[in-house]
Amino acid sequence: MSATAQAIQTFVHETGGWVASQLEACTRCGMCAEACHFYQATGNPEYAPVWKMELLRRAYEQRFTLFGGIKASLGLDKRITDEDISHWSELNYYACTVCNKCSMVCPMGIDIGSLLHEMRAGLAAADMVPADLAAAVTKQVNEGSPLGMTDKVWDQRLEWVADEWEVDIPRDVKGAHTLVVFSSIEVMKFPTNIAAIAKVLNKAGVSWTVSSKAREIVNFGFYEGSEEHTKLFLSRVLEGAKELGVKRIVVTECGHAYDALRWHAANLLPEANSFDIIHITGVLGELVGSGAIKLKPGAFDNDGTITFHDACKIQRKGGHVQEPRDILKILAPNSFKEMTPNREESICCGGGGGVIAIKAADEQRYAAFELKIKQVNSVGAKTVTMTCSNCRLQYTDSVEHFKLDWKVTGLAQMVADALVE
Amino acid sequence: MNWQGILEFARGPLFYAALLIFVGGMMYRLVSVIGLGWGKDRVPVKGSKAGGVVKSFLKGILIWPFIPWVKGTFSRNPLIYIGGGLFHLGLFVVLLLGAPHVLVWKSLLGFGWPTLPLPIVDWLAAAGIAAMLLLLINRLAHPVLRLISGPAEYFAWLLVFLPMVTGYMMTHHLWFPYEELFSLHMLSVDALLIWIPLSRISHFMFYFFARAIHGQEFGKRGVAV
Repeated sequence: MSATAQAIQTFVHETGGWVASQLEACTRCGMCAEACHFYQATGNPEYAPVWKMELLRRAYEQRFTLFGGIKASLGLDKRITDEDISHWSELNYYACTVCNKCSMVCPMGIDIGSLLHEMRAGLAAADMVPADLAAAVTKQVNEGSPLGMTDKVWDQRLEWVADEWEVDIPRDVKGAHTLVVFSSIEVMKFPTNIAAIAKVLNKAGVSWTVSSKAREIVNFGFYEGSEEHTKLFLSRVLEGAKELGVKRIVVTECGHAYDALRWHAANLLPEANSFDIIHITGVLGELVGSGAIKLKPGAFDNDGTITFHDACKIQRKGGHVQEPRDILKILAPNSFKEMTPNREESICCGGGGGVIAIKAADEQRYAAFELKIKQVNSVGAKTVTMTCSNCRLQYTDSVEHFKLDWKVTGLAQMVADALVE
Repeated sequence: MNWQGILEFARGPLFYAALLIFVGGMMYRLVSVIGLGWGKDRVPVKGSKAGGVVKSFLKGILIWPFIPWVKGTFSRNPLIYIGGGLFHLGLFVVLLLGAPHVLVWKSLLGFGWPTLPLPIVDWLAAAGIAAMLLLLINRLAHPVLRLISGPAEYFAWLLVFLPMVTGYMMTHHLWFPYEELFSLHMLSVDALLIWIPLSRISHFMFYFFARAIHGQEFGKRGVAV
């Protein structure tokens, strides 16, 4: 089957009433363009979210609506071609982080982000995933991680973290209450985050473990939009959890992994509902709120202004909007300042949705980050904290690229540093 | 056929036929979309789906269109907000509260309701027409809107514009004999009624689906809509 036919078939297959009714609600007002950080940053009209899902609309109308079919056969609506598929692959993977800000401004309330995920499903079925991203997926299929974190590397890195920061990281503990699954971004690039989370959980007396089977929370199949790969990577985590008999799975500072496991897994793999699935931000909120850990008030009040970056998949799409604020009000009551817009209206970092893994998308990614530079500078912050390692990767990379003098850190890190011993 | 004959046909058999096509067409659209099936959502909720849906509608209907600064995007899209808002306001006030239209409703439904004074209706109608012109110019000028607009968008615009402008001309006895304007008004209304189920003008029905899905998704995650 040709790439195009494959894509169309997937679009058609994925089109349930919820997709159709939302496509039908679109009035083509174009307001979503102004919500998109890639459009704002570049002014490229093709980056309007409504245009990014154009192929999904065409496939739906031409296949499922009486008039759509007639229009296409009269030449009033374009058929989808191979060139279209390759062109829309760039629009969707280079210039979209599936951050769903567009759905916040749609006057009809269309959940555009989830429709853009369906776009990716079709493009992935057509094998039109950008090479870098596709290579990372293959790596995760074969090695268990897109970042080269094989069993051996994982083992060595965790041992090193445990030694270096003198923390206990319980491994493969049967009957532990909580399974913590780190992302390879943390294991490979932000090891202090692992030490920090371990320190906090140990201090709070949580019964927890990591699993050598469920060692990678990152899900590059979800980035590319392939249901098959998404399920494969989710099932590795769920199997590890089942084997150890845990009650709860904690996703660490990784956005899309949380989106996949918390908000999609149960519809793909029903066994996901045998576990409570929560993000580490939620755990930190609980531990601080219940008094299980105590933080030094004002511990970060002397480091200049601190601001918080809302991650699209953890705050806007994840619901952990309030916990970071509550914690920052303890840690930095005077120096914590909010960016505008913030919370569920925040501007995405520009690196999510797999964009940062695609070298050819660097231009778009850095352009989008310029919006963050403006935001952070306008509150005069010297430190930016966040709850997502993917955002953090985008920040650290961009800070270097633009030669900014900001400190980039994570919330778990700050909590660990401010623990009352 | 003279104008008298055209008018009688356009407000008589053609109007009723158009109404039937409109209602039947919309029912068909509704059934065909619902018939595509809805997967069951097995994801455990964090907030409340129902609460999200209620908030989504309250915000969508009551707050958003009339208090633009609730969303930061107003400043980036002022023309579409104001133009779109005025157009819908003008259209619905004229259609639901203008004296001649209430007579039509009464003949169709068997009961009527109080109307607004003519000057208010009239100004809103004029504002609605002006807004439509503004929106058309914007659609032709804005790079994004130009990209996403095809013949269907411009044709739909024309079919909505004609009844509004002929209706306005009728009220003010502008340029043409009343009977001719009335005939054109009715013919354009009939054309519009027939076209709605075939076009994106039907968005008013699917609006309720999209808003509900939005509210449910955000409510499920415990995020403000």
